[in-house]
This record gives sequence, C-alpha cells and structure tokens, in this order.
Amino acid sequence: MEFHFQIRARCSELVTLHTTLMRLKKKWSLSSKTTMELNLILDELISNIVEHGDVEKDSEIDIKLTKKKAVITLVIMDDGPPFDPTVTPAVDIALPLEKRKCGGLGIHLIRKFSDKCKYTRVDNKNILTLKKILYEECR
Amino acid sequence: MEAEINQENDTTIFTLDGRLDSHSAPLFEQQVNDYLISPSNHLVFNFNNLDYISSAGLRIILNTAKAYKPTPYQFITCSMQDHVQEVFEISGFDSFITICRTLDESLITLRE
Repeated sequence: MEFHFQIRARCSELVTLHTTLMRLKKKWSLSSKTTMELNLILDELISNIVEHGDVEKDSEIDIKLTKKKAVITLVIMDDGPPFDPTVTPAVDIALPLEKRKCGGLGIHLIRKFSDKCKYTRVDNKNILTLKKILYEECR
Repeated sequence: MEAEINQENDTTIFTLDGRLDSHSAPLFEQQVNDYLISPSNHLVFNFNNLDYISSAGLRIILNTAKAYKPTPYQFITCSMQDHVQEVFEISGFDSFITICRTLDESLITLRE
C-alpha cells in the first residue's frame, strides 16, 4: 500500500500534514499512537527543512509512505541545503536542567520513534528513508 | 492551539488547548514570555486539552523551567495525555519538571 503527498516548506503546512495523516489513519486502520508518532517524525523533519532551508524558495517536500505487513517505510525528499540527520550528535537526556539545551530534540524524537534511518543526497536533493515497525497493530 | 490564562491566588494557570508545534509555538512563546521576565507567582501548565507536542513546544517548556529554577516559585505541569507524557519522558524532561496527574494535585503540591 502506498500513500504519496507533497507539502510546501512552511510551518502552516503542519496543519495540512495533520489532516492528511488523519485520512491515512482511517485508510490503513492505524492506531492513534502510530499516527501521532508518524505525525511527530514528519513534523520534526518538515520543521527542520523550514528552519534551515531557503525561505524565499517556497519549495516542496515530497513524502511517500509505503506499508508492507507491519512495517511502514517513509521516504522524505527535499531540495534544501545538504542535511544528514543520521549523523548529528545524540542529545544527552540525562543532563541536569541547567545544562540542557534546546537543540537536537527534534532529531532525538525522530530517532526514538523510528526503527531505521538512512540518508542519501541525490541530484541536489536530500532523501531520508525511515522505517517504522507497527508494534501496536501487530498485537 | 489556544492558551487560556487564569490567576488563582498566588498561581498563574495556563490551560492549553490543541496542538503545540512549530506553527503554534511562536504565539504561545510570546504569551509565556511575559511571565518569565521576573516571575512573581507559581506557574502551572494544564495540558488536559493538549493533543500534541513537538520539540518546538518542548523548547518553550525547557526555557520556562530554566527561568523558574533560580526563583522561589514553582513551575508545574499537569493532566498530560499519555502520548504527550511519553514525548516528555523520551526527552528526559520528567527528571526536572514536576508532572502532576490533575490540576487539583498541582495546587496541593504548591501548598505543601
């Protein structure tokens, strides 16, 4: 099963992302938890692209989800500057409040809520492939 | 997302409703910042109607906790939905932010 959509690189598009995923939830009979986690993964990626990308460009982000048995594969493609979220340093969540910083939390959440992550740069595009195992739906 | 602000004795209560992401965070941050310049009250964030939080929301929570740390006042969160609490825990925020089950429980905690 495949689900394919595009989103403009703007924060206001997070509303579109949410309504699109609610449609997918119904279509693929996903649990609320899985839907929220997919939403969070894509939200953090889109927010990153918006933050680091060229605001003038108003570029599009291409999102493809494929479901095979109990695994969802997400492929996110954007034409922003090269950015590999698989190699950014891990956030130390054990640090006390005074030492905690805001940076890196989005990537931290993506890593925690996905099961596999691969990055490639092809034709001036960032291509990120994530796998998510559907533990809840398998039960 | 909408935030309603109420005052109850020596406590300011923010009641959040909706989704806190990078789209809604800037406005919420503005509302919160007024209370962080020189805190003179306890502060409670009631998450009962908060359906979703991303790292953009966590950033505001972290800054709020940092602003309250050196003050004699407390910052408490309450009534989190399960997945919002999970995001807090995965980020390690539960180690430095008090999470109460209900608003009443937070108000009792503040009186202790």
